[in-house]
Amino acid sequence: MQAARLRWVVASGSNISLANLRARDPAALRAVVNQHARRLYRAARGMGFSSGDAEDLAQEVFATFLETIDRFEGRSEVGTWLFGILHHKAQERRRAHWREDLTDAVDEVFEGRFKADGSWREPPIQADRLVAAGQTAEALRECLAGLPDQHREVFQLRQLEELSAADVSEMIGCTINHVGVLFHRARVRLRACLEAQGWGRSR
Amino acid sequence: MMTCKEVSILVSRGEVANASMVTRIGAWMHLAMCRHCRTFRRQMALIGRAARLVGAAFEHEPSASFEDRILHHLGS
Repeated sequence: MQAARLRWVVASGSNISLANLRARDPAALRAVVNQHARRLYRAARGMGFSSGDAEDLAQEVFATFLETIDRFEGRSEVGTWLFGILHHKAQERRRAHWREDLTDAVDEVFEGRFKADGSWREPPIQADRLVAAGQTAEALRECLAGLPDQHREVFQLRQLEELSAADVSEMIGCTINHVGVLFHRARVRLRACLEAQGWGRSR
Repeated sequence: MMTCKEVSILVSRGEVANASMVTRIGAWMHLAMCRHCRTFRRQMALIGRAARLVGAAFEHEPSASFEDRILHHLGS
């Protein structure tokens, strides 16, 4: 491998050599763990795993990362690589397979908000009546727990981890378009759940 | 002219920034004129902010030695 490819930018401002990681250099390992462990834990919790399972998952992700580091060529961000491992570990734990559902009941909920000409039948509630983010967060926690696993994972990766649709599609093995569909369905479900809890109603 | 439904799908899929120039301009023009779709976009942003608060609470759950435990497990 060319020397240039061995130089791997882990994140802006911190250069860690891939060669050092392959050599299990303690400083390089610590830098990667410090930078990503809590993000992975947060994502696992966001996907619905318990605190204990989320800690185990984060640990397993790094163990697999080191086992497979020879296959990592540094073309993608290390964070993306780690989240890809997390996705597979989460799938193993759930013993679930990723599938593309062409239809979903929530699509009808969304459709019902519009007239045939594509204009709003039930317009969204005015923003000045929306409650603050802190109060929304309390309600959202419950709503997130009610999301199907796939919606929850895509919401977590796209919304919180701010990964691109292209990265997420590569990670979970579906089309970019389907990532958009799942993100949309997740947010429509969350919005409907928040509204059912009185989100935006005058207090 | 894009419809409210088309614009809100584009917004909730998170695809506005990566859409073609023509679609982006269409969405911006629509959003400039339609308060309902602007409200919808603000709702999506508020869900995002609220979700980050939920995520931040998760991040603080593990004890300070979390990273050390992982490194110990890795044999480092």
